Amino acid sequence: MQSSRTQLGRQLLGASKRRVAREPYRCFSCSVRQAQQQPPPPKSPQDGPSTTHFGFETIAEALKEQRVGAVFSSVASSYDSMNDFMSLGIHRLWKDHFVRNLNPGRNPLTSSPSSPSAEQGWNILDIAGGTGDIAFRMLDHASTINNDAHTRVTVADINPDMLAEGKKRSLQTPYARSPRLKFVEANAEKLDMIPDSSIDLYTVAFGIRNFTHKEAALKEAYRVLKPGGVFACLEFSKVNNPLFDAVYQRWSFAAIPLIGQLVAGDRDSYQYLVESIAKFPSQTEFSNMIKDAGFLVPGKGYEDLTNGIAAIHKGVKPA
Amino acid sequence: MASTRVANSSFRAVRAASIRPAAAWRQQCLYHSYDYAQPPPFPPAEAAILSAAYSHVPNHGFTIDTLKLGARDTGYLDVSTNLLPRGVFDLINYHLVTQRLALQNSVQFPDDGAATKKMGVGAKVRTLTLARLRANKPVIHRWQEALAIMAQPTYVAPSVAELAKLADEIWFLSGDQSVDSSWYTKRATLSAIYSSTEVFMTQDKSANFVETEQFLDNRLEDLTKIGGFLGGLGEWLNYTGHSAINVLRSKGARI
Repeated sequence: MQSSRTQLGRQLLGASKRRVAREPYRCFSCSVRQAQQQPPPPKSPQDGPSTTHFGFETIAEALKEQRVGAVFSSVASSYDSMNDFMSLGIHRLWKDHFVRNLNPGRNPLTSSPSSPSAEQGWNILDIAGGTGDIAFRMLDHASTINNDAHTRVTVADINPDMLAEGKKRSLQTPYARSPRLKFVEANAEKLDMIPDSSIDLYTVAFGIRNFTHKEAALKEAYRVLKPGGVFACLEFSKVNNPLFDAVYQRWSFAAIPLIGQLVAGDRDSYQYLVESIAKFPSQTEFSNMIKDAGFLVPGKGYEDLTNGIAAIHKGVKPA
Repeated sequence: MASTRVANSSFRAVRAASIRPAAAWRQQCLYHSYDYAQPPPFPPAEAAILSAAYSHVPNHGFTIDTLKLGARDTGYLDVSTNLLPRGVFDLINYHLVTQRLALQNSVQFPDDGAATKKMGVGAKVRTLTLARLRANKPVIHRWQEALAIMAQPTYVAPSVAELAKLADEIWFLSGDQSVDSSWYTKRATLSAIYSSTEVFMTQDKSANFVETEQFLDNRLEDLTKIGGFLGGLGEWLNYTGHSAINVLRSKGARI
């Protein structure tokens, strides 16, 4: 009798301890509840209409850029290993597929020599490509597959820490001090340093969901692209299969912040990451946004990767 | 009673459908209609690039370079070939679709009433099939490349679908009105004959493809022979089966 009572007491104690330990833990259900229960922070009447979402939080527009900047500054150094952990390495396959599909570079042997005045190579603008993941792949593909030594990539990122990471990494590639690779700190909504109709290919990989004004960024992309130029976007999207979606949601809301905490020592940044993925518009919605910006979309407008975890969206500026 | 109710509800569904705007209706048309003009098969920008690229096929084959040349001819850039998500297969598909749709204008049959001798459905099918094969003439020396691409696992399904549409188009234009199971066998056999003749044609070096014509005639003849044999066999089985049952019945078996 005595022993059973102490056992029960210990169990209760254990349970309460566990509850205490679990208090700061934010799983999907908690954050949903938070999003529903917490009324959006008291807004003054003038900033009422100009709010945006930061993950599941609603914040003033002016703050989003700053908060996103803080997130990426804190993850810059561990960005690549974190991506590997979170996507089980699949993000490399997506990026390879993305670049191979775009087939950048102009083969000097097969392209007709009829117009020698024409520009050699492509002019590529890689937005939000701070660490150079896409840029190096583009240049590699152009050089080795299409024998094109002229294609240039301008890497633009709003975050100096990510750019520094990319510059550091570029030292291990053959493009470090060549004129083919350039780093620019820029906001995708105001690309003043890029002239109108000057870009062949505008790419943005896993970046557009962090933009405060996606429409403004699309308009700006339309402006800088040459007629016939291509807007290509690789971004997380919506999973189509409900069963797989359930598994995926468990993974992203339970595992990813935990991995972020263990590997990068930064839970909140990765919590933002998964929340911003959940907030991003679905394939058809985003494809319609691209159409609304004036682009022609090829076929249905997007290509699902791994059941829709990510998707490639493309738009062509009409000539 | 039940049947009238079903008829009623289906009538209501038809009426509801016909009230919908014509544009939406046209998109749903999966059959030949004389009342609505078919929408063009490709959007304008894609059609411009593809038709410009198509003229480069005899020299550059079915390759991505052909597409880039076509894009440049129409004022687009090399990168604009991304407008065609399936790349070279889109060019092949363009050839298949445009040549299929051209068939109804390129082949004219004399009116049945005015003509001195009425042309049989079989003869019409032969004429149409030959006309379609002859439309491959400008690209035939490159067609094996196209067949190789069409045989890639990703593109097998759309290629076979296009073949089925061609067979359907030929039977429709030749005025076939069968509504029994032969609707299927006719299309299946014509698809088989057309695709084998096309493969034969890629290796045909004879003047004006007379050997291809002969090959097609032989296959169509085979078809009539086999069809006749199968028909005869079916009739014999039917007769023999019924007689056997009747003999058994006359012997007192309770069948």
